[in-house]
Amino acid sequence: MRFRDYIRDRLWFYVIAAVSFGLILLFLGAYRVSGQLMAFITVIFLLFVITEELVGFLRKRRFYDELIQKLDILDKKYLIHEMVREPDFLEGRLTYEVLCQANKAMCENVSDYKRSSADFREFIEMWVHEVKLPVASLQLMAHNHSDKLGDKFLEQLRRIDGYTDQVLYYARSESAEKDYIIKETSLKRTVSNTALKKREDIQLAGASIETEGLDVSVMTDGKWLEFMLGQFIANSLKYTVEGRETVMKISAEELPDRVLLHFRDNDIGIPENDLSRVFDKSFTGENGRLYAKSTGMGLYIVKSLCERLGHSISVKSEQGQYTEFTVAFAKNDFYKMQEQ
Amino acid sequence: MSKIFIVEDDRSIREELAELLRNSGYEAEYLTDFSSSKAKILSAKPDLILMDINIPDLNGEQLLKEIRSETDTPVIMVTSRTSETDEVLSMSYGADDYITKPYNPTILLLRISAVLKRSAGSATVQSYNGLQVNDAKGCLTDGSRELILTKNEMIIFRFMLDRRGSIVTRDELMTALWDNDEFVNDNALTVNISRLRSKLADLGCEDAIETRKKQGYILR
Repeated sequence: MRFRDYIRDRLWFYVIAAVSFGLILLFLGAYRVSGQLMAFITVIFLLFVITEELVGFLRKRRFYDELIQKLDILDKKYLIHEMVREPDFLEGRLTYEVLCQANKAMCENVSDYKRSSADFREFIEMWVHEVKLPVASLQLMAHNHSDKLGDKFLEQLRRIDGYTDQVLYYARSESAEKDYIIKETSLKRTVSNTALKKREDIQLAGASIETEGLDVSVMTDGKWLEFMLGQFIANSLKYTVEGRETVMKISAEELPDRVLLHFRDNDIGIPENDLSRVFDKSFTGENGRLYAKSTGMGLYIVKSLCERLGHSISVKSEQGQYTEFTVAFAKNDFYKMQEQ
Repeated sequence: MSKIFIVEDDRSIREELAELLRNSGYEAEYLTDFSSSKAKILSAKPDLILMDINIPDLNGEQLLKEIRSETDTPVIMVTSRTSETDEVLSMSYGADDYITKPYNPTILLLRISAVLKRSAGSATVQSYNGLQVNDAKGCLTDGSRELILTKNEMIIFRFMLDRRGSIVTRDELMTALWDNDEFVNDNALTVNISRLRSKLADLGCEDAIETRKKQGYILR
C-alpha cells in the first residue's frame, strides 16, 4: 500500500476539509479575529489533519501489506485468513470477518463435492465387483456349453471384462486413497499372468509375444502392473499393420539405480505430432480416428497409475515401424529393508 | 476321483462351476446355506476347497483360518476384488492359491490340478509304457536309450500323462504352455505334438497320441 494511492483515495476528505476550513477562515475574518489567532488555528488544524491521516495510513498499511504479501507466498490462497492477524480497525475487521465466512462457506461446498465424488467412486467400485459376477457366470456357461458360439461369447465377455477393469482402475487412479501394495514383484510372473489372461485375444489376432531378460524383481503393485501391460497388449492388437504379423517384445533392463521394462511392438506406430500427447486424457489422435474406436483413456489411466506408484513412463515411436513404451521402476533399498 | 467343495454365494456361478468340475472329472459339492459352514465343509471331507472370500454373513478369511486350524485340506480363494491386499491377506491365512473373478475356466482347472498335485505330494517320476520320465533331465528313458524332449514337448507330455486316457483339449495344452512362459502359437503347438509323437514312436510307442477331431488329443 503506497502513501500516494492512499492520499488519492482520501481526496474527497481533503476537499471537504479544505472547503469547511475555508468557510471557518471566512467567518473568523468576518468577526475580525486577529490574524495571529487565525494562523494558530490553521496550524492546529493542519497538525490535526496530518496526524490523523498518518495514523490512519499506518494502521491500514500494516494489515493490508501483510495480507498481500502473505497471499503472494501462499500456494493455497484460500487459506489466507488463517495467515493474517485480525486487524484493529473497523474496515479491516469487516474484511477479515467476510474472508473467514466466505472461506467457511467454500469449505462446506467443497466437502459436499468431495463426499459426493467419494460416494460415486465407492458405488463404481462396488458396481464393478457386482458386474464381474454375471460375467464370471456367463464365462463358465459359455465354457460348459462350448460349441462354435461358446468361443464367440467368451471373446465378447473378455471385452466386457476389459472395459470394466478400465473403469475400476480409472476410479482408483483418481482417488486419494491408497489401495495398492508396493512389494517385490517378479516381472516374469507378472508378464506371464497378463499374457495368459490375454492369450485367446493374442492368438485370435495371430500375434506373438517374445520376452527377454525378465528374471528381475521390481518394487510395484503386481495387479496394477498387470493392468498396464494389458493395456499395452490391447493397443498392440488394435493398431496392426495389414498383412504384418504383430510381434510384441517385452524385455527388462537393469540399470544401477533403476529397472526398465520395455514393451515394443511392430505396429503402425504413432505420428510424431501426436507422440507427446498420447498420455493425455481423452486424446485419440490420428490413429484413434483412422482405426478402431478409441476412448483415449487407456494410456491416460496407465500414466496416472504410474504416477501414483512412483514409476515413470515414456514412449518412442516411428510411424509404420514400431511403438515402444518404457516403464522405469526405481530401485529402493528402503522397501527391501522393511520386508526383512 | 478328487472331491472339490465349492463355497460360493452366487447360485448361478456355483452351479456352473460344479458342472465345469464334473465335466473335468472331479466330484463337486457346494453349500446352499451358509449357517455352520465350517462343520458342513469338514464333514464332506473334500480334497480341495474352492472358496469365495466375500460371502454375506460369512467372513471368508475367518472361515479359512478356522478350517486351517483343523485340517490341511488345500484351499483356493476366489474373489471379485482385484487388489493386492486380499491376496496378501488370504495367503497369510493359509490359502494355497488365489484366483480372481472372472476367471478363465481353463486356468482355474490348471490351478486346481496343480494344487491337488502339490498337496498329494505325488512322486514326480512317473512311467509311461515302460518309459521313465525324468523331469530334472528333461528326458524319457527305457533303460538303455535316452530321449531328450524340448521344454515344450515335456510340458505337453507331462500334462497328457497326468490325464492319461482322457481327452486333453488344445486350449488346455496351450494354457499349460503359456503358464510356463512358453508363448507359442497354434502352428507351433501342432509341430510340437507331431514331434513328440515321432519321438515316442522312436522309443517303440507307436500311435501313443491319438487325435480326436475337434476335441483334442488322448494319450493312450
